[in-house]
Amino acid sequence: MRSQFWGLYVREILRTFRNPFVLLITVVQPFMWLAFFGSSFGNVSPIYLKGLFGTTNYIEFLLPGVLSTSMLSVGMFGSMSTIQDKRFGFMKRILITPTSKEIIFLSKALGSATRGLVQIPVMVVAAVAFGVSFGLSPLEWAAWIAGLFCLAIGFSSLFLAVTAPSTDWQTPGVVSNFITMPLMFASASLFSSSQFPAWMQAISDVNPITFSALLGRSFVLGRPIPWEYLGYLGIFAVGMLAIGYYVSARWLRVE
Amino acid sequence: MTDPPAIELRGLSKRYGTGDGSVLALDRVNLSIAKGTVFGLLGPNGAGKTTLIKVLTGISEITDGEGSVAGFDIRRQSLEVRARIGWVAAEVILDDDFSGWENLWLQAKLQSLTGWEDRAHQLLDYFSLADRAQDKVGHYSTGMRKKLEIALALLHQPSVIFMDEPTIGLDVGTRRMLWDIVTGIHREFGVTVLLTTHYIEEADALCDRVAIIDEGRIIAEGSPSELKARVKADLVELETSDGVDVRALSDLPGVQEVRSQGNEWVVRVASSEEFLPRLFARVPTDHIRRISVEKPSLETVFLDLTGRRIGQDEPMRDVRKFYMQMRRARQ
Repeated sequence: MRSQFWGLYVREILRTFRNPFVLLITVVQPFMWLAFFGSSFGNVSPIYLKGLFGTTNYIEFLLPGVLSTSMLSVGMFGSMSTIQDKRFGFMKRILITPTSKEIIFLSKALGSATRGLVQIPVMVVAAVAFGVSFGLSPLEWAAWIAGLFCLAIGFSSLFLAVTAPSTDWQTPGVVSNFITMPLMFASASLFSSSQFPAWMQAISDVNPITFSALLGRSFVLGRPIPWEYLGYLGIFAVGMLAIGYYVSARWLRVE
Repeated sequence: MTDPPAIELRGLSKRYGTGDGSVLALDRVNLSIAKGTVFGLLGPNGAGKTTLIKVLTGISEITDGEGSVAGFDIRRQSLEVRARIGWVAAEVILDDDFSGWENLWLQAKLQSLTGWEDRAHQLLDYFSLADRAQDKVGHYSTGMRKKLEIALALLHQPSVIFMDEPTIGLDVGTRRMLWDIVTGIHREFGVTVLLTTHYIEEADALCDRVAIIDEGRIIAEGSPSELKARVKADLVELETSDGVDVRALSDLPGVQEVRSQGNEWVVRVASSEEFLPRLFARVPTDHIRRISVEKPSLETVFLDLTGRRIGQDEPMRDVRKFYMQMRRARQ
């Protein structure tokens, strides 16, 4: 079982890093978020920014949010590798070995989350280039990364649960997009949720992206740390992992 | 004491879907395949060959009946079955981002093998792939990819290898090479091979035994020579103009059976050499548009059993018919 997991996990990672284009996009996309979206408040007065975001550098506010939404995207793209494996028959090749469906799920979920973690150092370096300074302790770094990892595991599992039972390669993509958009905008990742209408705020308050963004923001902006959010993210990861595991074991199929 | 069969199926059925729209892909299939044989499953497209492979390899669940592969129940002991089988797909399925060696490494991991490297080197040598082992398989030729796929199927020393239409889409040279490989691996590695094909000559050349499958049912089984011996007759296929009466054919001496579909006839005769002069004496030659004679072969066995040719449901495959339609369209 360990051997099968390791084989499939390594395959997931190697496939990403062997494709320079995918690697480039994985790294550049969040960087572009910072550059384009982060610059959209470039001409706004510092007083206004301070009032709205609690900092005069919007990128400082944005970085934890963009990293959080990146974990959402990574989860979605991770599940696409399942669709690809089904389409090109590789899933059959795996299933005609004594590899259980649960192992396939776990290797893909962890592989996807690992890919997500690669974005963290790139984004942090990019943020430094945009004038953000980090004064985090090692524990705070570890907690921030752990929160992002939980978020990545949770979303990878969620999207894999959507993908596993489907034999149609288009539907999971449409469903994933349908889930992604409201989750991203109904969160505190890009703006403060205090400006949202009540119904959007209600979604944001239970949205794991909000927990991750606020946790990261507390480290970057030196605000009081909501440690319980790390717990919520852990619960989200374990819960989604359990759902994905169960769905894959029962319904992962190739036809 | 005789060895238990490598594959045994009892009343195995597979139905896709439910209700009125469902399709019965396999209909109470009974089959016993002895260890160490090359067994061919011959039938037209859509006959149920690939479905049978899918249920035997655990890709698809059976609807009814029982089956065992390598002594393990395909429904209840799927993991044990999958540890003892190899699979060669109709379309080559490899990880193109990986090298040949890395594909073998992954297969070893999926089969939880230890000390697999020596075997992998032997297989690479056997299939003449050793000098390209570190190249990405995306750069391999079709023949090399097929060879590597067979090497993957053999890495864990399986009892049974399933080959689903292994030569479909291959050029003549590569197909010949693959035939040699199938014969070779059977001899060298003592593995039972179940291959599906709709190529008559392939089943005839490679298989110790053949089962003919049509519409989900096994309609005949035996060695190629046994099957051919069943058709103790020549088959004469005719296409006539309108107005030829069935009695004009069935009354002729030596005619055993006449089947017709419109103006197309399949006449089973004791001897075509004696039948043809009688036919031309009875039916004016300008009423005969096309005529062909076949001596006993696996094709005539299928034709005799079903009244159809193996590729008949695929219009473009019947080249003669296609060109005839083209000629008529021009007239």
